[in-house]
Parts: sequence; C-alpha cells; structure tokens
Amino acid sequence: MPPKPSGALRPVTITAVVDPVAALASGDLDENLYLYDTNRTAGSSGFGTPELRTRVRKGDRLLWNVIPLECETFVALSGIEIDRRVADPVREFYPGTDIAFWTATVKRELVKPVTYRLSFLLGGVAEPFTVAAEQALVGPVKEAR
Amino acid sequence: MAQQHGIIVLIDVDNALQERTLDGNAYWFDNMKFLGSTGEGTGGLVTIVPGAYFLDGSQATEQVLNWLPASLGAVPPTVPRNYLAEQALQTDRDALAHLAAVGAGDEAEVGRIKEEVGVRAKQSRSAKGIPTAKILDATGHVAGSDAADTYNYPTPVITDITGPAVEQKIMYPAQYGSPDMIYDGWYWAATVDTSRPGIYSYTMHIQLHELVEREDGLVWQPVDLTCTSALEVMTDPKRNAFTGAGLGVLPLPEFPPVP
Amino acid sequence: MKPKVNIVVMVDAVGALSDRTLHQGNLALVDDSPYGSRNPGTPELVTTVLPGQVVQWTAIHVDVQTPVEIHQITFLGPGEPEHAPPVTRPDPGYAAVPAYAAASGVLLAEPETASQTAAPPSALASNGLENHDLLVWEGIVPFTMAPGVPYRYRLSIKIHEGPNSLLHVDTPALLRV
Repeated sequence: MPPKPSGALRPVTITAVVDPVAALASGDLDENLYLYDTNRTAGSSGFGTPELRTRVRKGDRLLWNVIPLECETFVALSGIEIDRRVADPVREFYPGTDIAFWTATVKRELVKPVTYRLSFLLGGVAEPFTVAAEQALVGPVKEAR
Repeated sequence: MAQQHGIIVLIDVDNALQERTLDGNAYWFDNMKFLGSTGEGTGGLVTIVPGAYFLDGSQATEQVLNWLPASLGAVPPTVPRNYLAEQALQTDRDALAHLAAVGAGDEAEVGRIKEEVGVRAKQSRSAKGIPTAKILDATGHVAGSDAADTYNYPTPVITDITGPAVEQKIMYPAQYGSPDMIYDGWYWAATVDTSRPGIYSYTMHIQLHELVEREDGLVWQPVDLTCTSALEVMTDPKRNAFTGAGLGVLPLPEFPPVP
Repeated sequence: MKPKVNIVVMVDAVGALSDRTLHQGNLALVDDSPYGSRNPGTPELVTTVLPGQVVQWTAIHVDVQTPVEIHQITFLGPGEPEHAPPVTRPDPGYAAVPAYAAASGVLLAEPETASQTAAPPSALASNGLENHDLLVWEGIVPFTMAPGVPYRYRLSIKIHEGPNSLLHVDTPALLRV
C-alpha cells in the first residue's frame, strides 16, 4: 500500500473517548468507552467501540490519548498491556502540563493481529479500571496475487 | 435544576481534509445516553432534550446545549487553550537565552536554535481561530522544519448553526466568549424551547485549517465544511415528589425521632 | 413569615462517585431560612422552619454537566433503631452495598424498605426512561410538628444511573422554632 501523502512522520493516533461519570455510576467502563484512530482509510475498524483494530506497519509511531465526555472530569490512560516485542509504550506529558499520553513504535511487521488492553484512571478512584474487551493492532492487508 | 448538555464533535481532520467532506469523518457524543440520546459515537447522534412544564403549562426548566469541537489525532481539548500560546512564548524565551550564550560564527549552534524556535505560519484572511502563529506537533512540542508533515491540527471552529431546529425556533444558538482565540475563544451554546416535542435536525458549519506550503512560506488555509445532527425534544409535566401530584403537607412522622 | 424556605443540595458528583460517599466534603446543604439554621454547608444541616411554610429542596450541580438529582427524601421515625444517627458505620451514606447493623441484623441501606415511606415517586418520562428532574421536592410544614426537636430525614441522591448511582445521608433535619 503506498504511504499516505503526509508520510510516516505523523504518528497514528488512537483516541479513547470516555464518559467517566457514567462509567463510575454504572461500574461498566466498556459501555462508556469509544475508541478511534487516524488510520480509517488504511483499514482500521471497530470505530466507536472498545474493540478497535488499528492497521499499522513496522516503524509506525503510535500515540494514545484520552478525551473525557465531561470536560472538567479527570480521566487518564494509566497503562497499556501489550507484547513488549511488538511495541513498548511509554508515558509522556504534554510539555508543561500533567496531562499524559502514551507513545510507542511498532517494532515488526504484523502477520497476525496483536491484542492489547488499556487501563484508565477515572475521577478520584485510586485503582485503575481495565477494559474488558481487547483492542488490537493489525498488519497490512496481504496483496492479492 | 436541569443540567447543561455537552455535545462533543470529534473530527478526523486528516481524512476530512483529504476527502473534503465531514461525512464519515465526524463522530458525535453527548452525555445523555441514559436520558434517551441515541447514536453516541457515530455521525448519527440524536440528542435528547428532556423538557419539563409546570401545571399551568409554562416551561419549567431551561435546557442549554454546549458544543465542543475536537480534532482526532491532535492535542486533546483537555489541554488548556492557552497552552499552545504559552508553549510558543516559552520556546521563544528559551531560544533567546540560548542565542545570548552562543559564540560568534557558531553556525551549527545557531541552526540548532532555529530548529528549537520552530516555524511560524501566516494566517490567510478568511481563516478563523488559529490559536498561535507558531506550529506545534501532535505531542505538543514545537514542530521543526518538517512542520508541514507533522503539524498539530488546530481545533475545528464552528462558524454557524442552521437548519430546521433553528428555522423553526426550537433552539436559539449563539456564540459566547471572547474573540481572543488564544485564551478563551468563541464557543457555541443554545437554549431550547421544549414546548414543541419532536425530532429536529440542524446543520453545523465547521471550518478546518490546512497548513499549505507556498513560495512565501507556510500559510493556514481555511476549509469550510458542514455536517448534520438532530435534537429529540420532549416535555413532561413536573410533579410533586411527595404527593405525586400537587403541593401537599410534608410527610413528617407523628412523633419525631428520639434525639 | 417568609412563605418559602429553600434548601439547596450541592453535590460534587465525581467526588461522590469516586469516594462512594456523600460525606468527606462531597455534599453541601444550605438554606435561606431567616431563623438561624445550624451546620450550613454540611450534610448535618438543621433547617429552622415554621408551620405553614413551604420547604423546597433543589439539587444544584457543582459541575454543570454532571447529572445529579434528588432520588428520595424520607423522614425518620421514632424508636426505630436502624434509623439511629450513623455512629460507627464504616461508610456512612453509602447506599449501594447492603450493610447490616451488627445487633439487629436489619438492612440499613435500602431506602425503599424504610417503614416510614411509600415507594419513591414516579419520575417516568414519556419516552419510558426516568428523568428525576421532573420531580419537585416541596411540601408544607404541618402544624402538628413538635417544636424544638430536630426531625431528621434521609436524603437520597442519584448520580447518573446504575449500581453505584444511589448514595444517601441520614443527618440533615428540620427544626420547628
């Protein structure tokens, strides 16, 4: 597949939209979590659900961030459980803020989907909430012969 | 008192600019699924507006809608709006300090400071709402010479709200806030007349900004697009919580609790 | 006589959901009674009232976009040990998990089973979902109210919906001067 015009310089961003008040009141994070990424035209699927499948290539930079539905309410991505041989996410902060995002580089070409799991801190609760469903990184579509 | 309703419009700016449409590139949310909104996270959100009226028929609560646009793949809207401007100022201050320390003829060092300072872009006349002339990338750092490829998408700007919901005077949208795009910016809010239940669509006019490389440098070009959403207005009578109907006596016990 | 006394119920929704209690600063009660109410700004508010006055409770959202509503107000009766002031309960005001008084084995945390009241009023809207904003919590102070004795009530709050959405306190009261 030919690279996008903006090249491999721009990271593939995976955004988690969360309703933290609904998640805390119902005790159900999955019901109140909507995932998206910037690779829709490259073949990502599962938009708007917790089962996002992001299409990636070896060498792609990944960036995970969070948008809360109630703009004043605290939500943060506290962890990403993924095979470290595929990607090793590290947490960073937008410079000068305490708002976190996570970045990683895809270390190899993916032949099969690689699943991962996100965990979030919601409101003032000290224990992170982990998504029940699995997210995934998927490799390039095989060319038809 | 009824809550205010927040509606978030998340736009896949990269694809919207490539395809020149918001169809399939805009995801809508509100926080009222539990009151009856449908289509959360899709392009087909219908926002519930649960009105109430008193027994004399007068509208009992003011329902207020607030819209927050956001770019997918950009620095999230939770990062303070003045952040981008402060980042630009801070990098300028840092670069000035470094320049003062650099010796004469040290071209490599001056070149490095130029990278640190980043690039600025001009704003074309019809572009609205660019928070700073200095370009940042998606991690909030100042973009270097590859700014045209890595630039952080500015937040989409709502320029108007039209359509049946407005024409039929169901909602009254207006812009609020200061015109200072760096610190507060305009935001759109609307009050809703809940006396006429039904489903009413509305059209959101959104301006995206594309960074274009021209001979005279980088320029922000505005791109005007539209997308639609809808309100479902309902109204129900207020009722006394103790009696289920009208005003009555408080249900105190015959004898008070022991102190 | 001031015809109406307003009691304002202010809830920090995210704080209450995170701490799972309305205490610890997550609930403030304030009234506009001119007769000297006690403990304003706390869940222990004692509102001074006169018979014939209308008392109205209104929920105010500290964060304007979070849904907080009054779910139930139940006046506590005499001689019922399970409604005694919260003494040593580990989580006062936490309604979601049943808690049993050690001695009597009586369920403490279900407002609907309190012998004092009927079922909560219907907040059903025309689309079949509950909208607690439809309920007006106001009533007239009866002339039979005994003076000088605080009439405590259980104030039950609903934040959004679901298993963790109901919280209550048993500490506020009305007092006839």
